[in-house]
Amino acid sequence: MRIIEVIISLFIIVAALSFTSLLSIAPTSPKYEATELEKLGYNVLHDLDEQGLLPRFVYSSEWQNLTSALRVTLPISIYFNLTVYKIERTAVNGAVVDNYVAINSGSNGLIQYGDNSAFLSSKDVASVTYGVVGYTTKISQTNFQTNYSPRVLVLELTRG
Amino acid sequence: MNAVYDHMVAIVFIGIMFVWAVSVVPQMSFNSIQAVNQQQLRNMELNVFNSLLLDTGSAVNGSTNTKDWGSLTPFSQNAVTRFGLSSVGESTLFTLDPDKVQRLTDNPLGSISYERTKQLLGLEGYNFIFQILPPFNVTNADGTKIDMDNSPIDVWELQNGAHPTLAYQVRIVFLDGRPIPNATVQSTAIYTEGTNFNITGPITSKSNEMGIAHTSTALAFAPSSIMVIMKVSVADVATIVVTFGQILDDIVDINIVGDQVTLTEPKAPNNGAVWLMDMYYYSIEGGAQHLYTGGKDGANKLNTGSGEFLNWTRNFNGLKSLDPVVMILNVYAVPNNGELPENGRQDLVVAGPYQNLLGYTVFEYGPSNPGLSTIVSSQRSVIISGMTYTAQFILWKESA
Repeated sequence: MRIIEVIISLFIIVAALSFTSLLSIAPTSPKYEATELEKLGYNVLHDLDEQGLLPRFVYSSEWQNLTSALRVTLPISIYFNLTVYKIERTAVNGAVVDNYVAINSGSNGLIQYGDNSAFLSSKDVASVTYGVVGYTTKISQTNFQTNYSPRVLVLELTRG
Repeated sequence: MNAVYDHMVAIVFIGIMFVWAVSVVPQMSFNSIQAVNQQQLRNMELNVFNSLLLDTGSAVNGSTNTKDWGSLTPFSQNAVTRFGLSSVGESTLFTLDPDKVQRLTDNPLGSISYERTKQLLGLEGYNFIFQILPPFNVTNADGTKIDMDNSPIDVWELQNGAHPTLAYQVRIVFLDGRPIPNATVQSTAIYTEGTNFNITGPITSKSNEMGIAHTSTALAFAPSSIMVIMKVSVADVATIVVTFGQILDDIVDINIVGDQVTLTEPKAPNNGAVWLMDMYYYSIEGGAQHLYTGGKDGANKLNTGSGEFLNWTRNFNGLKSLDPVVMILNVYAVPNNGELPENGRQDLVVAGPYQNLLGYTVFEYGPSNPGLSTIVSSQRSVIISGMTYTAQFILWKESA
């Protein structure tokens, strides 16, 4: 009879210890890694935007240049996959619906570095959503026109 | 009898439990403590890195506080009260002030020591490395580093009276060594011969599938002293490489602090007096632009002795806003290339303030080896003088 009591006690102690170790979050856990990758991804897109490069790449469909720019600005160990969406507004049964349509589809429009399997196998994949609201065109020496045409960029990042 | 067996088996189970607890529980608590330590280290690293890149810092200047601590003249590291490298007045994030960054290097106009920086960042008991890396590498065609001894440029002097030809070949690669095709190289050649001085360019070329860009162009005369400044762009993300056609050491040191340019002549070896003939600045946006015309007079003289000619300093209003990356000087001096000068004093081209470092790791601040300690690191993309770099911060605890 005491054997059963001992086994139950052991089970409770082991369960308690295992539970406490589950509560601690190691710095290498997906929670920390994904946050760090998100910050890095936002930082890189923001820098390209500030330099005026991101709107040009997006609105001129310079996907190869955008891929190269991301490759040189992100650390070499980071793999990325970027999808650019435009918003198409349609009326369905009287209701207005926003559809996000990917505009960099096909092999020529792929904005990617690294193996696809890295994204599928890695536990630490971060996703950054970044908005580009429009672009400015020069009409004359002193006149500029701003065109509102939002694009949504979804950048996925993982370590290779 | 049954009770005795019952107790014996229970004791055996408790014994097994004791052995397990002795071996596993300390390991679990050690792992927990280590995880907590790493977590604290990472939190600290992120906070410090953010304040380093996003905070302007501040210093005491007389009776006032200034955020523009990199431009303090004269500079004293003890005047700095808060450390941060962000540019004052910039609305954009992650734009670093070149004056502040240059205070981390071996700067003859004053630098901030690693220990002082640690103290200001509250990192006593820790060590860190702060690195600024270029977005990509530009090397000689054979992959060797471009430096004073290994130049990618060549000048062919023809016998039939034709203009001499300048040729160069460089290789542009990602930091992992893979070639970058279709990179744009815009080259500007600055050269002298005797008392002649000329600038040719910019000449544009593209890299091929192997990442190699080459071009050739005619020069106005056969140069005795030549440098080529290359603006290398990948998808309009640019870096600058300065290459020399000959080894010229220790002619003059060039320093920029805010709008002020200060020239100092190295003490050794002694090259005698140096006169400043012309000064140009090179920026990412504008290329090489004329800034100052000097001459062979007392107002433009430097020498290695002491007194009024020890330094040459001028203020150029608005210079900092032009984002000068490199200053180019045409100086009248004796070449100090390890050989006896054939023609004595002559016009020479020199560049600064950090021509040897451009195109590679711009610098590394802090001890080079973290040893066996647990390290945490982060990277961010930053802009300095209009150029994009990757800043990396590595932190670890000092071993007891």
